[in-house]
Amino acid sequence: MSKNLSELSGRKGIVDNLFEKMGQAAKETGAPSKKDLDDLAKEFLMGKANTFGTTSFYDFMKPENKGKKAYVCNGSACLCAGTQDAVKQTLETALKADEIGHMTCLGRCHENGAFHYDGKNYSAKNADEILAILNKTEQPDLDQYHVVASKAVLTLPYEGFEKHYAPFRDALKQPPTEVLNEIKESEIRGRGGAGFAMGFKLEAAAKEKSDTKFIICNADEGDPGAFSDRYILEQRPHSLLFGVMMAGYAIGAEWGIVYIRAEYPESVEIVQNAIDELRANKYLGKNILNSNFNFDLKIIQAQGAYICGEETALINSIEGQRPEVRTRPPYPTTMGLFNKPTVVNNVETLAAVHYIVKNSGKNHRELGTEKSSGTKLISLDSFVKKPGIYEVEMGTPLSEVIYEMAGGFTQPMKALHIGGPLGGIVPISKIKELTIDFESFAKHGFLLGHASVVCIPESMPMINYLEHLFDFAAFESCGKCFPCRLGTKRAHELLRKSATTDYKISRELFTDLMDTLRQGSLCAHGGGIPLPAKNALEYFGEELNKHFEN
Amino acid sequence: MSKIAYINNRPFAIKEGETMLSFLKRNYGEKKVPTLCDAPNLEPFGSCRVCSVDVALQPGGKTKAMASCHSPIFENAYIFPDSENIQKLRKNIIELVLTDHPLDCLTCEVSGNCELQDVAASVGMREVRYPEGENHQHYQKDFSHPYMTSDLTKCINCYRCIRACDEVQGEFVLNMAGRGFDSKIIKSFDDNFMDSDCVSCGACSQACPTSAISDVFESKSIVAQSEKTRTICTYCGVGCNLEVSTKNGQILSIQAPYDAIANGGHTCLKGRYAFKFYNHPDRLRTPLIKRNSEFVPATWDEVYDFIADKLTQLKTDFGPDSIAGISSARTPNEENYLMQKFMRAVIGTNNIDCCARVCHSPTALGMQRAFGTGAATNSIEDLNYTDCIFVIGANPTDAHPVTGAKIKQRMMKGVTSIIVDPRRIELAKYATYHLQLRPGTNVALLNMMLYFIITEDVMDKDFVAKRTEGFEEFKAEILKLDIDELAQITGVDKDLVREASLAYANANAAMEFHGLGVTEHSQGTFTVQLIADLAMITGNIGKKGSGMNPLRGQNNVQGAADMGAQPHQGAGYLDVTNPEINARYNSFYNAKVPSHIGYKIPEMFNAAISGDLKALWIIGEDVVQTDPNTQKVMKAMDSLELLIVQEIFMTETAKHATVILPGASFLEKSGTFTNGERRIQRVQKVVEPIEGSKPDGEIIVDIMNRMGYPQPAYTPEGMLEEISGIVPFFMGATWENLGDNGLQWPVFEGGKDTPMLHITEFKRGLGKFTFKNWRESAEVEAHGKDYPYIITTNRELEHYNCGTMTRRTGNVDILTEDVLLIHPKDAADNFIEDGQMVCVESPRGKVDIKAFITDEVRPGVLSSTFHFPEIMLNNITSDVHDSEAMCPEYKVVVCRIRKSKGKFKAMANS
Repeated sequence: MSKNLSELSGRKGIVDNLFEKMGQAAKETGAPSKKDLDDLAKEFLMGKANTFGTTSFYDFMKPENKGKKAYVCNGSACLCAGTQDAVKQTLETALKADEIGHMTCLGRCHENGAFHYDGKNYSAKNADEILAILNKTEQPDLDQYHVVASKAVLTLPYEGFEKHYAPFRDALKQPPTEVLNEIKESEIRGRGGAGFAMGFKLEAAAKEKSDTKFIICNADEGDPGAFSDRYILEQRPHSLLFGVMMAGYAIGAEWGIVYIRAEYPESVEIVQNAIDELRANKYLGKNILNSNFNFDLKIIQAQGAYICGEETALINSIEGQRPEVRTRPPYPTTMGLFNKPTVVNNVETLAAVHYIVKNSGKNHRELGTEKSSGTKLISLDSFVKKPGIYEVEMGTPLSEVIYEMAGGFTQPMKALHIGGPLGGIVPISKIKELTIDFESFAKHGFLLGHASVVCIPESMPMINYLEHLFDFAAFESCGKCFPCRLGTKRAHELLRKSATTDYKISRELFTDLMDTLRQGSLCAHGGGIPLPAKNALEYFGEELNKHFEN
Repeated sequence: MSKIAYINNRPFAIKEGETMLSFLKRNYGEKKVPTLCDAPNLEPFGSCRVCSVDVALQPGGKTKAMASCHSPIFENAYIFPDSENIQKLRKNIIELVLTDHPLDCLTCEVSGNCELQDVAASVGMREVRYPEGENHQHYQKDFSHPYMTSDLTKCINCYRCIRACDEVQGEFVLNMAGRGFDSKIIKSFDDNFMDSDCVSCGACSQACPTSAISDVFESKSIVAQSEKTRTICTYCGVGCNLEVSTKNGQILSIQAPYDAIANGGHTCLKGRYAFKFYNHPDRLRTPLIKRNSEFVPATWDEVYDFIADKLTQLKTDFGPDSIAGISSARTPNEENYLMQKFMRAVIGTNNIDCCARVCHSPTALGMQRAFGTGAATNSIEDLNYTDCIFVIGANPTDAHPVTGAKIKQRMMKGVTSIIVDPRRIELAKYATYHLQLRPGTNVALLNMMLYFIITEDVMDKDFVAKRTEGFEEFKAEILKLDIDELAQITGVDKDLVREASLAYANANAAMEFHGLGVTEHSQGTFTVQLIADLAMITGNIGKKGSGMNPLRGQNNVQGAADMGAQPHQGAGYLDVTNPEINARYNSFYNAKVPSHIGYKIPEMFNAAISGDLKALWIIGEDVVQTDPNTQKVMKAMDSLELLIVQEIFMTETAKHATVILPGASFLEKSGTFTNGERRIQRVQKVVEPIEGSKPDGEIIVDIMNRMGYPQPAYTPEGMLEEISGIVPFFMGATWENLGDNGLQWPVFEGGKDTPMLHITEFKRGLGKFTFKNWRESAEVEAHGKDYPYIITTNRELEHYNCGTMTRRTGNVDILTEDVLLIHPKDAADNFIEDGQMVCVESPRGKVDIKAFITDEVRPGVLSSTFHFPEIMLNNITSDVHDSEAMCPEYKVVVCRIRKSKGKFKAMANS
């Protein structure tokens, strides 16, 4: 969080972007050359250590990434499905071992067997299919999943450009405060996980006096098990872009940035096409539709780092700094991208703005529960009979979604891991007590988060699942704060040791470690990871007992 | 009513905007809350989390752990800084740190002064419960650099070094690489220190809480177990306060105190590391008298008798004006005062000058003409309040590194900035406007700026009307100028000049800095007067964040002039020709002081050659290596009957001496230095003078006494008391009230000082506008045709002046030689490749210098330094001088270039 680096990066605005240039320099071989890094450092008046330090952070730019050709998904759903060893073995028959990396996760939780090759994602059902993809003899169909809504807001059919943007045209005739008021009235809360009121953030940024402001769409959907943002990016890109533009109008921003994870190459292409369509229709640029509203959109493609889903890390990422979490205050709404007022919102949150602006905030407010308005998308993986994306009103019983809408499980499950790696582990017996809203989950000691659901089958030992979680947490820790950098690593080591040897973990030590992570960490990454461990110990204590000292 | 927050349920008033940590430090105890990533000169960062405290919103309410360093205090917060929960949290964090840290405290460099050790002890760390896991104890140590060292096995990833390199020095050499558990400090591309872009300022080393980054002096270890003395740096005019650690009379290391106003915990590689010259084997350790062309050791008595007899004889035979002195801007005020007093009161001549002649004499004269006072109008601290920085003819990141770093910090944060310099200096890269003019055209460029400010009607009419005189005449002349012609002369696009002018004029407060690129010209004084015009026409005088701020080159060049080491003004800038003042001096010194102006340095050389000057006493100044036209200077030295050189090393000048007096370095004596912002600061003796040498003040007093003048023995207190009796602006300065951070003159009775001058009126009453038109340098006019290139001289960060001191430190391993900066086009035109020797020839002579091809200079312009006697660049510089103050024109030397014929050969000294 160097203010100097924010300023220096910002001198070139968002058009000539350092991070994007780093990505371009890495594209060919998997990591930028020293010459590229030196040139970029000079161009942006920084040190070599800055460009090298940043690129070395990311899975797809770090020096070790050089020469990688294929990446195997190691997300939680694919792990539970047990498909990935076979995928890797098959890939190794055609590629060298060091040409194969991993990605977490490709959002193919509904099909599994996911891997990335030559800029595209695949879910392979068997070895022949994999080899056909590598040999380019067969291009498989796009992935398929169910999209089911009990109340459609985000999954409403796209009505075509003209009709879709009619509310936008109407809104531009109103002052920005009208749009802001509608959003405030909708009481929509952020769908990225934290559930922070969107209207509050927008209002804070709107109040700031600055010649430059930014609205950023956080499309870095990194939670293993989640693919609802990918659904919107690829199936409803104009809902998202509509929201970004309206939010920009509300706060007085002239730039909207869609930060899309590298693991979603198809999303980048589809959203770019949608932006091109907006531009062709003169919905971007200066004085849009003679409204005096100046606005433009740009996609920034991420380079593989889960922490970039945290908003301040994401801002650092766009600036070409190391995506380490910033302290707050100052909040991004005061001092965000390039030290300018910035609002960061999740894809699903922004996509809901279309409904709000079209039907009024009040209309949206009437959906859902008292404290959680609107609808929520839920990602269900391949262990339910109808894997896919589900949209329900907030407050809908979880059991209704799982058992009625999705048809129940394909085999016996022991738990659901809901809300990403930092979410709670919900034992099957608790499903009936939960409703889909922030409060119900919190009350029961879980987390709605982004509402991704990873089903943990009976056959998966809980110690292995925890080991996987802490492996992920340690691998993705930015390393800035002591508790997370060291604590996630040590927790993973303890769990691995006890899973693979007769080592028994001291309960006191483990409790201290979880308390340290929870209380001491700078952000929700280290602060949140103890929750699933706590749930596991509470609900699967008997199974885990043999791994702990008495 | 101020707002209240609670510590352990006790109420305390909170300050708006402070963090919980500063609230706790104020009210609960400076060290009560442990920290690791926090540092006094860095922004809160929030990585270590050991400063966490429990916070509740109401009495007895649910508490939440919050990192106090970056959490703002708020009203009715209930803080429990060491609850059981917090104590456990801190202990658990430290336990984690120790899982990847060597447990070798006893043999560790910083044992006893390690923040990790202290915090571990304070949280009661007893055991590490984790089984052995992955760690980073295989990292190799880095001993590649003459000063900087690292041992990353000791690193706790607190980022303090990275932040110091960024927020303090602004160099971005350090960063973290990788991520998570494997993230690691890197230098540039994960190089070693020597191969990295490190500028050796040592900010990282001072910031590091362990010994992960340190230096060859093991500075942190030493601080714990040694005596400490606070003194002032001997190098540039920034006036960094230094904390020198000694043990058994030996200097071990130097750190920068955080509470120093001048440098706030920062300094550069010269101040921090380049001190080992002080006991170098080359130090002069006995007086020497030249007999039959050989220096022969002599006793102090012998040499004093020799000098006293010879001076008395010359004075009797040829009159007092046959004797002259050059005082040293490197020595304290008290010694300068004594030297000028010796010349005036004991010899009876005004032939006294100092090196300000060859650097900022035009500044003093020009600013005196415009404002009445020849010194910086504002304080460096004003950088925090300015919204436009204007740097002309100065390269502060090399020559005034701490001020340079402060300017760079502001520029990086987006403050509007204008750089006027023929070279694309470091700051130019960050500037809003870089006006890259041809050397020698400052006057033309400033006139363009003044023209646009008048024609665009952006001047401060109110200020001009109320505070100044001579404006209408000035304006009439400015409006006659042909801007296109001036643009052609300067080589700078007129629209760019116009924009820059508007930026300067429209700023709320614009702050000017200049250096020798302004003064070392034939129109140096005029340039200074035009800069004063620019400040006045925009009302940028007398307010915070504005002003005209010369960056003084030598540590005490301000003081040397203040003390009267100049031929036309006595101590306190009083006119020696004024009978009333003369009478005052006579009575104060109890001696007859002459009332005619004496020789300036270049006049001394001319008088020596013509035979009018017989004796010269030079203290701490290597005129042969540093003054222009070396051959002529040497001729002058050799024409004298008596040349006394008082030095710490055998310099190029000392080689020509009749008598050499071994003086003492700044570390071996006490007195005061006055920095570039008029801050009089205490220099305190750190060690005894090396055997055989004496403090310079003591030597002067001895000779005064020997020649019959009753001067009391030198003490810093006593001298300052005497000075305060005659120098009006020192009136209230006493050794005691100068304190740790000194006082900015004028210091009034009672000790009230003056951070800003000319607030309501100028020293001279009204500010004086003066118009001066540009004139081509005589050098270019006379020789430009035959010598088509211009070489301009500059400084490098690692070396100071002629390198007498820095070449005898590790700095010489970092920068080993002078090089010639040459544009790729000029290099190609002359078939010169990078690293090849180039013969640079001027009308005075030629030198061979190694080419460094760079587009930092523009085509037609070359640049080099005179840090090394191997090159003796001043063999080619000219003795064209500023028309008013006689400052030499080092910045415009015509020359021609070709690839050297032979291999490198130094210009012979004969």
